[in-house]
Formats: sequence, C-alpha cells, structure tokens
Amino acid sequence: MKISVLILSGFFVILVLFAFTTYINYQQSDKINENSERFAASSTVLRNSNRIQRNVSNMVAGLRGYLLTRESSFIESYDSASNENVELLKELSAVPLQERQEVLLADIEKSHRQWVYEFAQPLVQAKLRANLSDSSAAGFSRLYREKLADNSEKVFQQTLQRRFKEFSNLEYSYRDSQKDLLMASVEQTRNVSFYLTAFSIIIGMVIAVFLAQHISSGIVKLTRMADTIAAGDYTIRVNVDGNDEVSRLSRALNNMARILSEYIALLQRKNDELNQFAHIVSHDLKGPLRGIDNVVGWIEEDHNLDLPSKVREYIHLIKGRVNRAENLLNGILSYSRVGREVNMQEEVNVLELLQEVKDYLPAETSARLILDPKIPSLVTERLPLLQVFTNLISNAIKHNDNPHPLVNVYFKEEDGMYRFFVQDNGPGIARDYHDKVFMIFQTLKERDSFESTGVGLAIVKKILDDRKLDINLQSSTGNGSTFSFTWPKNNDL
Amino acid sequence: MTRVINLLLIEDDNVDEIDLKRSLDRMGILYRMKVAKNGEEGVRALEGQSMEVFAGLPDIILLDLNMPRMNGLEFLQVLRKRVEWKHLRVFVLTTSDELEDRSAVRDLGISGYIVKPLKVSNTNSIDAFNLMIDLMNMQN
Repeated sequence: MKISVLILSGFFVILVLFAFTTYINYQQSDKINENSERFAASSTVLRNSNRIQRNVSNMVAGLRGYLLTRESSFIESYDSASNENVELLKELSAVPLQERQEVLLADIEKSHRQWVYEFAQPLVQAKLRANLSDSSAAGFSRLYREKLADNSEKVFQQTLQRRFKEFSNLEYSYRDSQKDLLMASVEQTRNVSFYLTAFSIIIGMVIAVFLAQHISSGIVKLTRMADTIAAGDYTIRVNVDGNDEVSRLSRALNNMARILSEYIALLQRKNDELNQFAHIVSHDLKGPLRGIDNVVGWIEEDHNLDLPSKVREYIHLIKGRVNRAENLLNGILSYSRVGREVNMQEEVNVLELLQEVKDYLPAETSARLILDPKIPSLVTERLPLLQVFTNLISNAIKHNDNPHPLVNVYFKEEDGMYRFFVQDNGPGIARDYHDKVFMIFQTLKERDSFESTGVGLAIVKKILDDRKLDINLQSSTGNGSTFSFTWPKNNDL
Repeated sequence: MTRVINLLLIEDDNVDEIDLKRSLDRMGILYRMKVAKNGEEGVRALEGQSMEVFAGLPDIILLDLNMPRMNGLEFLQVLRKRVEWKHLRVFVLTTSDELEDRSAVRDLGISGYIVKPLKVSNTNSIDAFNLMIDLMNMQN
C-alpha cells in the first residue's frame, strides 16, 4: 500500500471515530434537553394536581363555612376554587400522562363532580331555600344530616385525597425513573466517548509509529546503501518488498546502483584494455626499433671508415630518432604500468628514501639537494612515493639552468595529510603551461634539443590521481618552480 | 683441441639472427647453426627432416618466445614431452623488459637466457656463452 494512502486512510478512520463520538454526544445533549423538558412538564403536573387538591379542600372548607354561617364570602371562595379547577384540569389533560394517572385523573374528576352534584350543590340549594320557610329549613336539616352526618362525605373526600396522593406519587416515581435512565445514558455516553477517543488515539499512534518505523528503516537502509556505493562498492542492493513510496525509491536506487556498476565495470574494462593496449603496442614496437638500432650499429661498426661524412651524419640522425622513439615507448610502458603493480604497505623512512633518490642522480650534476631533516617516517606504499619524488627531483635538476642549481625538499602538515614540496631555482614555468606540464608527452623543450619525453610528470599525476591525492604547481617565469603534493599520513589509502 | 658446436636457433627475426651470429663470431665461438623460423620448423629440424648444416640433435637450442604458428612456450612443451629431446639444453632469447614471460618458461626447465640486443656488457647472457665455450673446448 502506498504511504500516502495509508496516511489518508488512517486520518479518515480517526475522523470517522471522532465524528461518531461527536454524534453520540450530540444525541446525549438532545436526550438531556428532552429530559429537562419532561422534568418541567412533570413539575407542571405536580403543581397543577396540588392546586386542584388544594382547591378541592378549599371548596370543601367553603361549603362547610357557608353551610354553618351562610356568609356569601365562603361561597365565593368555593366558586373561585371550582372555576380554577376547570382551568387546571383542562391544562392537565393537555400534558401527556401515564395510563394509570389518566385513570386516576378521570376518577378524581368524576368523584369530584359526583361530590359537587351529590353533596355540594343540593346542600347549597337547600341552604338558600332554608331561609324561605321552616319546611325548607327542616328539609335542609334533613338533607344536611343525610349527606354529612353519617360521615359518608368525609370518607368520600378521604378517598379523593388518597387518589391525589397516588397521582403525585406516580408522578414522582416516574420522574425518578426518568432521572435514573438519564444518568445511565449519561454514563453510557461518557464511556463510549472515552473508549472511542482512546481508540482513535491508539489507532493514530499505531499508524504514526508504523509510518515512522517504516519510513525511517527504509531511509536508514537507503542511506547505508548510498554510503556503500560512495565507498566504491556498486554491487550492494537493498531488499524490497511492498509497493509504497520508500520501496519504489529503493527499487530506483537498486536500478541506479545496477546501472552504475555496469558502467563502472565497463569503464574498468576499457581502462584495463587501454593499459593492456598501451603495454602491448609499446612492447611490440620496441622489437623492430631494436632491429633498426642493431642494423645501424652494424653499419657503423663494419663500414664507418667507408662511409661519406654525409651518410655518417644521417646515421647519427637515425640513431637519435631511434633513441627518442625508444624513450617514448619506455615512457608509455612505465605510464601504463602505473597502478598495475600491487604495492605493499610498509614502514617508509621518507628521509632515507630521498637520500636514495639523491644517490641515483646523475653523478655529473652540480645540483645541490637540500632535505628537511624533520621529514617523517610513515607506513605507506614505498615504490609509488619513490617514483613521485624521483620524477619531481630529477625534473627539477634536468630543467635547471641556474649556475648553482638547488632543489629544496620540505613538508607541511595539512588536514591530517602531509604536503611535500619540491622547490627549485630553475627557469620557472609560465602560468599558461601549468596544466600542460602534467599531460603525457607534453614537454616545453624542442624535441631534438633535449632528452625529455614528457612522461615524468604525467606519471606523477597518475600516481596521485589514482589515490585521489592532489598535486599543485607554484611557479612563474624566472622565479623557479615549487611542485607540492599531498600524501596520507597513515596507510588508509 | 676445439670442436665446432651445433646450434639450433628458433627465431623469426633475422636481424636477431645476424645479431647472434655477430656476437658468436666476435667471441670466437665455432658453430654450425640451423635456423628455424618458428616452433613447428624447430620440431621438424629436431626430427632430422633438415639434414643440411649438421646431422643429429643440436648441442644447444636458442629459442625466441614470440613467433608465429608455434611460439617458444609451446615449442618447449612439445620438447619436454619427447624422451629423446628431454635432455636438450635450451636458452631463451628475450628482451630485457619481457620479465613477465620468464616465469612461464622457468617451469619448463631451461638453462638460461640470452638477452637481446646482445652486448658484451650485458652480463645476463654470460652463462650461455660460457657453456658454448666449454662445449667447444670439451674433448668429444
């Protein structure tokens, strides 16, 4: 799976989980609202039922007061309570109630009405009439006794009160059960929100850890690969499975390394072929050249006295060219041989090595070679270093036209390396030729006039280039030349 | 008493042949020389197919390495397989910088080298000429 797809789907899963959490919390808040509405309705029910109950009591009290005193204020309070109850009952019937409550309410209404029609109204009518005649008064007294004296009205009222009580209790217990339900639902919502949030965080962390681990391990592998390639091993490959971006990058790098190693192998083969070619060509050309030299030698040996002076001069020219050709071929041979030998690492006393170079200098030279006595010993390849010094020092002497030729060899430490200097007081080299002197067969002298093939500095450069070391020339016409090159302190070539 | 020694030169470059002869003459070595231009001709010369110059096997074989058809190394391999030729002394003609070729022939039991071009000052060839002079001075 692609990493981008993985990241997006991870985010999507987390988003869905959070959306769900939000949704159930929203639903919960709806429930709470609903519940508080229901609570408000329940309060109304209770308040109304209480007021109805109170009104009923007021009506009973009003009735009794009136019956005893005939004060019209009692009948007024009876009437207002009765009127209010009509309103309150209408209000109550609009509110949703439990079945049992409906029954109770209907019962209450019915009983109350029964009380009104059976007790209250006949008694009030009778009381009104009692003032008109004695028979009416006697009628009232009879009725009063009939209705109230035997306590049946009281029992009636008590039953009514019980029903009110039951109605209120039902409302209270309903309200409590609703409250419990709400609490349970709040608890549930809280739990679900907690688990969903925790789950989202865990999923997010798992995805994050997986991605970090996956990407970083991939990148670590690729970095190691790139380092190995930089160190010169082009055969390394990373194992790739999967089809994500890191895997695709790994595959691309593998491919790059493969192509690189093919090209490097090709380059090495071409280089080897070139060296081989140079070696074979120069070697094979030397045969006929030696033949020419032999034959010319025999002519000189056998017929020198018979030859006209012109022919002797020409033979001299031939010998010069043969010699030059042989020098060139030897130059190619030694140039192509550079880097073909495997050199051992050994302890090299560079000062002694330079002394050796000094001993090999042509005896007839008047040049003085000054060596810095502090030149160190080091563990390195002896022969290449010897060749570099030999070529630089012999060049410094060969080209030196100073009446008191002088070559000074010294060194400095530089970035954990040594830099060796070979300084002469010769004619110097103009800036234009500074690059040219390191090219093979480039010499700044006329070909005929001087024994120089232009291979020495090319060999020096090749030895140093092969080891990724640096050579530098400081010189200007008339001021001598200073060649300097770096050489590693330790054997970590 | 001196005697004439019999040489078989296997060499394709006649400048080298002349060079060798001039050196032998200069050193006063008396010799008869069969010249083969490559290894195959060398084998035929040993088999007695060329009866001129001298009969029988040579005292010394002088062998060049780089030749057409059958080179010096191949010739040596043939030589060392034949019982009747096994004992023959072979000097290899070589140039001073053919060092890497030498290790291959050393295993095939050669007597030494003659280094071209032949110069009195070149001490590498001295064994060969000393042997020739010894053979020349030996009584039969």
